Amino acid sequence: MTTYLIAVLTEGAIFGIMALGLNVIWGWSGDFDLAYYGYIAVGAYMTIVLTVGPPVAPAQYIIGQSLPYPLAVVFAVITAMAVALVVGSIALRHLRGIYFSIVTLGAVYVMYVFAGQYVPLFDGYNGLSGLFDPMGDWFGLDYFSYQYFFLGLSLVMFALVYFVMSRVSSSRFGMALRTLREDERAAAAFGRDIYRLKLKGYVLGAALGGFAGALFAAYLTAFNTSAWSPVEVIVLYSAVLVGGRGNIRGVVLGVLIMGLIVNESTRFLPQLPLPGLSAFDTLHPQVLQAARGGIIGLVLVLFLRFRPQGLLPERRFVDRSPATPAIEPAPLAS
Amino acid sequence: MHAALLTLGFGIVTASILALSAVAFTLQYGVTNVANVSHGEILTIGAYAAYLVHQRTGSAPAAAIAAALAGGLIALAMYSSVIGPFIRFGASPTVIFIATLGVSFVIQNVLVIFFGAANVAYNIDPGAPQQVGPFLLNALDEQIVISAVVITAALFFIISRTKFGKALRAVSQNRELARVTGINATRVAAATFFLAGLIAGYAGFVLAESVGSFTPYFGFGFFLITLTAAVAGGLGRAVGTMVGAVIVGIILEVVPALPVPFVGGYISASYNLAIAFAILALVILFRPRGLFTSARRTVFE
Repeated sequence: MTTYLIAVLTEGAIFGIMALGLNVIWGWSGDFDLAYYGYIAVGAYMTIVLTVGPPVAPAQYIIGQSLPYPLAVVFAVITAMAVALVVGSIALRHLRGIYFSIVTLGAVYVMYVFAGQYVPLFDGYNGLSGLFDPMGDWFGLDYFSYQYFFLGLSLVMFALVYFVMSRVSSSRFGMALRTLREDERAAAAFGRDIYRLKLKGYVLGAALGGFAGALFAAYLTAFNTSAWSPVEVIVLYSAVLVGGRGNIRGVVLGVLIMGLIVNESTRFLPQLPLPGLSAFDTLHPQVLQAARGGIIGLVLVLFLRFRPQGLLPERRFVDRSPATPAIEPAPLAS
Repeated sequence: MHAALLTLGFGIVTASILALSAVAFTLQYGVTNVANVSHGEILTIGAYAAYLVHQRTGSAPAAAIAAALAGGLIALAMYSSVIGPFIRFGASPTVIFIATLGVSFVIQNVLVIFFGAANVAYNIDPGAPQQVGPFLLNALDEQIVISAVVITAALFFIISRTKFGKALRAVSQNRELARVTGINATRVAAATFFLAGLIAGYAGFVLAESVGSFTPYFGFGFFLITLTAAVAGGLGRAVGTMVGAVIVGIILEVVPALPVPFVGGYISASYNLAIAFAILALVILFRPRGLFTSARRTVFE
């Protein structure tokens, strides 16, 4: 039970960082970015190749350094930001709406195909492994105490990210990003450099994704193409949407709810064999996973239709400054 | 030279299937102005329906009809349960894009629950390869190409000569104006989805036949290539999409067969998706209205 609770909380904290990063791109800047899971993957892959040392044949991968974990995380985040800068500078310049989504979908599939097929990069389909308990030996931790240590680390990092994001949310930069979501032309008319602003937001979001990926790699100890698929990002989108797009408190609520659904929803599935389907077995892990996926997709569609603002909607900003009174409409001549 | 002609032959088969799928996608886009991301699942469901019927009856024509009907019904269901209500509710095209992505996720997972995620082998005796002009095609390939030509010819007859086709074109060009002239846009859109679903379901059947196996995710992978063809040809334009599909289909078969300059060796066919998306990104960035218009690039919203 304790092991289960530790796993759920650690995953929740990492998932929370991912969702907060996505919230910058989709919640504030308003772009439906399908490449986001690619940045998580870049962060995870880079962390591993920077910490586990040179490859032992037949495995092959780039870099192969044995840096300390925190330093590797920094480089991994920088790499994720660099990739996002390239994708963003192509996709954000002229494209909006579904054209932006389609190009980012293309970008993430290119990353996915290369990670899975081009063996010299990250050992192709086999992926990378061997990142055991980073920083554990610094404190002389054994396998069990390490679980608590890593949980604490994830929670502290999540709290840190939450704090920084709550500051960004009410900063000028956060406000400016929201104006782009609401009305790009108006923002341009007020002298905002739309492209640079959007690109900044995009790279900031990707940095959080890469950071969460670096933590995720340490949690999983390994990473390969079966650990991520571009459509996994739907789970993150449903978390942001259910909680309240643009509101970081809402995003955290969404993560809690989706985490609950992901981990617990299948507990109450009826264990009835359906007639005529011999392969149907509600206890099979594949079926459980598919049931979760189906529920997540359904939640996404229903929320988009019936409560697109989420459970904790973003507060509308109202200009209360008394300096410029609204112009009174002239009384109608009678 | 001979090898190049052989791959060109395979390219034509791929292009035929792609043309069916892309024209179905573009019809849906035309009448609703939204991209149906769950389009790939129409193909997947067509493949499963064909497989189940083929197993029970042993007849390929019955399987083809089942695939088309299943595709038509699921496309109609997508329109009437998700896309139509979202449009009436005033959702933006991006929101509907996300919603249909969710639908696609749901359908894939429901299929996994019922049929498992493993590959389903769908082996049909393709017949001995024979020389057709310069190409080497087997009976199955011939059937695929001929049926694609027949279906598109029928489709163009429907679009250009029938009253329904006229209504379809009117709704595609200007939904509001079409409604003002007394066309029931919702009904035309629903009928168009059914028609597109028939074609896409059949495309799923021939794709499964030609690949020899399928999974619940197989339509989604093909949808990504379909999207490339449709965007290259110009979203919502039937004729352009057909040409786009032929070009993309041939590129996808020919490029992996070309030797890589300087390095030597060949690009693996697994990079197909990456190649398709490279084409897609270039088209969107430089010719967002498709390859066949003179319109300059614009900001899309």
